[in-house]
Amino acid sequence: MRYGSVAILLTLAVVAGAAVFAVASAARNSTAAPASDTHSTTPVARTAWGDPDFQGVWRYEAVIALERPARFGGREFLTDAEIAQIQQTEKDQEANRLAGVEGEAVGRQSIAASPIRGNEYNSFWQDHGRPRKVYKQTSLITDPRDGRIPYTPDAQKADARAAARYGVGPYESYLDPDTGERCLTDGVTGMMWQGPNGGHNQIVQSPGYVTILHEEYRDRRIIPVDGRPHSNIRQWFGDSVGHWQGDTLVVDTTNFVDKTNYEWASIWTRPSETLHLLERFKRTDADTLEYTITVEDPTTFVKPWTAVIPISKVPDGTQIYEYACHEGNYAMPNLLSGARANAASKTAGR
Amino acid sequence: MPTWFKTALVAIVAAIVVGSVWAQVRSSRRSAGYQPARTADGKPDLSGVWQALNTANFDIQSHPARPALALIPAAPRTGVAGLVRATPTDIPAPAVRALGAVGAVPAGEGVVDGDEVPYQPWAAAKKKENVEHWLERDPEIKCFMPGVPRATYMPYPFQILQGTDTILIAYEFAGTTRTIHMNKVGNSPSPSWMGLSRGRWEGDTLVVDVTDFNDETWFDRAGNFHSDALHIVERYTAVSPYHLMYEVTVEDPKVFTRPWKMRMPLYRRTEKDKRILEYKCVEFVEEAMYGHLGVVDPATGHTNK
Repeated sequence: MRYGSVAILLTLAVVAGAAVFAVASAARNSTAAPASDTHSTTPVARTAWGDPDFQGVWRYEAVIALERPARFGGREFLTDAEIAQIQQTEKDQEANRLAGVEGEAVGRQSIAASPIRGNEYNSFWQDHGRPRKVYKQTSLITDPRDGRIPYTPDAQKADARAAARYGVGPYESYLDPDTGERCLTDGVTGMMWQGPNGGHNQIVQSPGYVTILHEEYRDRRIIPVDGRPHSNIRQWFGDSVGHWQGDTLVVDTTNFVDKTNYEWASIWTRPSETLHLLERFKRTDADTLEYTITVEDPTTFVKPWTAVIPISKVPDGTQIYEYACHEGNYAMPNLLSGARANAASKTAGR
Repeated sequence: MPTWFKTALVAIVAAIVVGSVWAQVRSSRRSAGYQPARTADGKPDLSGVWQALNTANFDIQSHPARPALALIPAAPRTGVAGLVRATPTDIPAPAVRALGAVGAVPAGEGVVDGDEVPYQPWAAAKKKENVEHWLERDPEIKCFMPGVPRATYMPYPFQILQGTDTILIAYEFAGTTRTIHMNKVGNSPSPSWMGLSRGRWEGDTLVVDVTDFNDETWFDRAGNFHSDALHIVERYTAVSPYHLMYEVTVEDPKVFTRPWKMRMPLYRRTEKDKRILEYKCVEFVEEAMYGHLGVVDPATGHTNK
């Protein structure tokens, strides 16, 4: 469960409608501006070979719900009063964290309030370390304007099913835990910003390549930016080719393998053969990467959707560490053994 | 032309000739005659997709061909008294028998200097035991991270990506990546499968010092192993546009009596637009690792195995 918890924040926000956070951004596809800040006009740093330099360790440190919570009633931006209140909450929680306080006072859900069984365990891994940045967006999704994922009716059912099975099962086979619990991946779509177990991404550039190391599941993307065409090999992360459009890195990814038959913690991250992912990375100031994704997949969505995600640079010298998930996946045999004992005891009672 | 001018001219030309010859001699000493391409910041450019072409992953020591990695003694033959029968030999273990020639081990020259791995007596016994229990113990079978240096000479390509202060080595097997820190970095908070890598340039050679290992990885399918005291020093030197020379010093005072070395060439994969592809082998080993737990029949609650 620990390892499958990567999508838990979003699941919380979406499923429970319990997201307290929110924020930012102008109209669709525009810059996700910090609520308290204006854009720096510092020129973009460049690598020795002249590409815009995005190198470093990055982490999503705002907590904006992917989908707009119903309580905003369709409103796209927070009011100044709401922003001030959230900023105060962040400050208070930071102080409480430093004071060693646990539970709701540091923004974690109590066991009683947890909408998902098992989440009290996951919440341990969700320490954000420092106050989160507050943005005006009320949802990461900027298109469609209602801030909701435009699921097909079938996908809507699959999403509800995925939420219902999280932390509950069934665990009839090793195929029943989700891809995260199986230590495979949580999918490329949410890779740049999901991950309460850390969510750190290191970007390393070399001539002709931008490589992204996602700490969780040790997911890795080596993105060529040398003008080559797509390959025709289907993969979990598809085939990515990038190019520079001014100071923006544009990455086009196709040739995903169909893994819709597997369990996903969040089904909007699952790859299918019809998935097409378009990503834009733009450094809006020294410490912020504006990451925009447009997700198109008629297998799951009735129309493409776009999310604008502000990602923060963590201090220089931050390392990402080895994520030996499968190597230490004691949860898998224990989960299956437990489920078998449980099933056997029910049979015995009949 | 005045004599003084001629003399000066001769002296200048002589100085230039001598100087350039001396520079050539010096640089050829430094890098064995090959001048690698340079990165934008003047370092040797080792970037590209590389692969070892040897049998070291089967066994880092010299070995003859054999029928399988997992062998059992053949049953003795009982024949007519007084008649000579073919001598029984080891045969593939039942678990790998159906693979036939695909499961056999090709012969290969060792990559270890002197062809000897200097085990302490207890460790030599454990190595032998590892061979007998290869199928249960080799971490490669479970799709675990292969460790260093094994990752280098597995039969999969890897890519060197030279960033500004960081060099990545991206291995295809199990999607494992090593970060070589070219700047100062603190120790790892816990032991790890791939270790903590600190890099530096010695002339045109990339030297990587690797520490902070756990004791879980092996050197090959022949059960060669180490402890958490493992210390690896790797040396990567470009010797042509298409070859790196790879040298490894292995030190582990808990397991070996002295440091020892391996060396081998690495070959550039020259295919156009060569990529490191996905090899997410976790899903390939789940049946082997968890299949014995069976599948619960939701109707009856029984587990079918």
